[in-house]
Amino acid sequence: MYGGIDLQRSLIEILTGLGLPADVAKVIWMLLPMAVMVLGVTVGALVCTWLERKISAAAQQRIGPEYAGPFGLLIPIADVAKLVIKQGTIPAKADPLLYTIGPALVFTSVFLCYLVIPFGQNLIISDIGTGVFFIIAISSVAPIGLLMAGYSSNNKYSLLGGLRAAAQSISYEIPLALAVLAVALMTNGLSTIDIVNQQAEYGILSWNIWRQPIGFVIFIIAALAECERLPFDLPEAEEELVAGYQTEYSGIRFAFFYGGSYANLLLAGLLASILYLGGWELPFPIDRISEALGIEANTAWWQVLAAFIGLTSTLVKTYAFIFFAILLRWTVPRVRIDQLLDLGWKFLLPIGLANLLITAALKLAFPFAFGG
Amino acid sequence: MKFLNKVGEYTKDAIQAAKYIGQGMSVTFDHMRRRPITVQYPYEKLIPSERFRGRIHFEFDKCISCEVCVRVCPINLPVVDWTFNTEMKKKELKSYSIDFGVCIFCGNCVEYCPTNALSMTEEYDLSTFDRHELNFDSVALGRMPTKVTEDPFVKPIRELAYLPKGVIEGHEVPHTARRAGLRPEEIAEATSENK
Repeated sequence: MYGGIDLQRSLIEILTGLGLPADVAKVIWMLLPMAVMVLGVTVGALVCTWLERKISAAAQQRIGPEYAGPFGLLIPIADVAKLVIKQGTIPAKADPLLYTIGPALVFTSVFLCYLVIPFGQNLIISDIGTGVFFIIAISSVAPIGLLMAGYSSNNKYSLLGGLRAAAQSISYEIPLALAVLAVALMTNGLSTIDIVNQQAEYGILSWNIWRQPIGFVIFIIAALAECERLPFDLPEAEEELVAGYQTEYSGIRFAFFYGGSYANLLLAGLLASILYLGGWELPFPIDRISEALGIEANTAWWQVLAAFIGLTSTLVKTYAFIFFAILLRWTVPRVRIDQLLDLGWKFLLPIGLANLLITAALKLAFPFAFGG
Repeated sequence: MKFLNKVGEYTKDAIQAAKYIGQGMSVTFDHMRRRPITVQYPYEKLIPSERFRGRIHFEFDKCISCEVCVRVCPINLPVVDWTFNTEMKKKELKSYSIDFGVCIFCGNCVEYCPTNALSMTEEYDLSTFDRHELNFDSVALGRMPTKVTEDPFVKPIRELAYLPKGVIEGHEVPHTARRAGLRPEEIAEATSENK
């Protein structure tokens, strides 16, 4: 692939051209993508909450939020505003430090994962060689936060909820990692960029979903369980199981949990689109379009256009996954905790291992198709 | 062999589960082409059905203070305050009240009232900020609620049972549209003709 647009270099050049020292320009560059990422992810999570409410309403033949802004679009902002002004209480005899760190830890661990998510060819904060490994490692910090929250709430229901959450997260971390490992095996690398580029050659036909159908199913199930979404929302099931680890939480701390869970859903969607659905690639290779139209691939406006197309493509795939997850919420019943652990350990884990073995065998047998 | 059997069973279970989830999803997806049927209360209200048991209406002048309503009430709820007027040699009603915070709207009092002083209205939104406000005295009980069809601020919507044939959504037809089936008077007419 060609180099593409280099935002970093051009911004630093512009800033130094304005008379700033090169070091200051670099620092500004470092802050900018971070701010854009935090803002973008927050907006994405808020969009998820709006979609959740609207699609749930449609599935039940209701209207859903309507009065705040057109189509209730301002409802997420109203929600956040409400949670921010609400009083945040700390239960008596609770550990205030752990109680506060818990939600922050969950929130931060989810946001850190976005560092290695590519939204387009060069729309990534840092292309480190260990991309997907980084995501799996960082996202497994979240159960500690949940456990902390449950333990420090000085409430037996919260404690049980925290333990439930940790048990579930740990059980589904392994099948998730196995599914991702099979993809990494075919890519010969862990970098998220490499994974997408490897799926680029023949458009939709080269997407990993065709080569890893079992892995895709395992990934979806495990990702839903990781996000604590129905049918696996045992840790926080509001009505039936006394709200789990977040029983005592209110105000901004609760908002951290809530926002974190939606950011996590968005992350799962992005991962599904990057690992299995070709990331920012279109169903047909975009290079062929530029060739057919006779446009030089390095033309500036074409590159900007291609970046936008890539971003849109990623987001469309991501939100398709989220749409599926929301519909699934209104379709399937919640599983019991023993069924949940059975599914994780007795079904997904052996299937994941078998899938990995088959992938390795196919890679040796058909190196041209399985990235040998 | 036993191991292979187990694997086969497992696969069968998984396929079955996938099939059931697929069936469920097809139902959920089917909802994409359905419209919302939300009644946007309080701007739209359903017309209560014919025998709706709403808040009780009381006519002071009809009441003879017999206290039948108190006796038939499951919890002796109506409070009838009367004195015996020695000149008229009759009971004289001073005040009458029912606490709708406690009433279960069973309608026994209405059923047994010998002078039809009690009747059911179609009022149902009785919420207040203080539950003591639900204790209606004879003046409050004597007020008639605004009918849903006559309230200019409300769009009346019919319930499913009162819609024309083939319509299942109250928003689709005006509330005056003729309901499915024969009206009671038409049935009466038809039966009298047959005789």
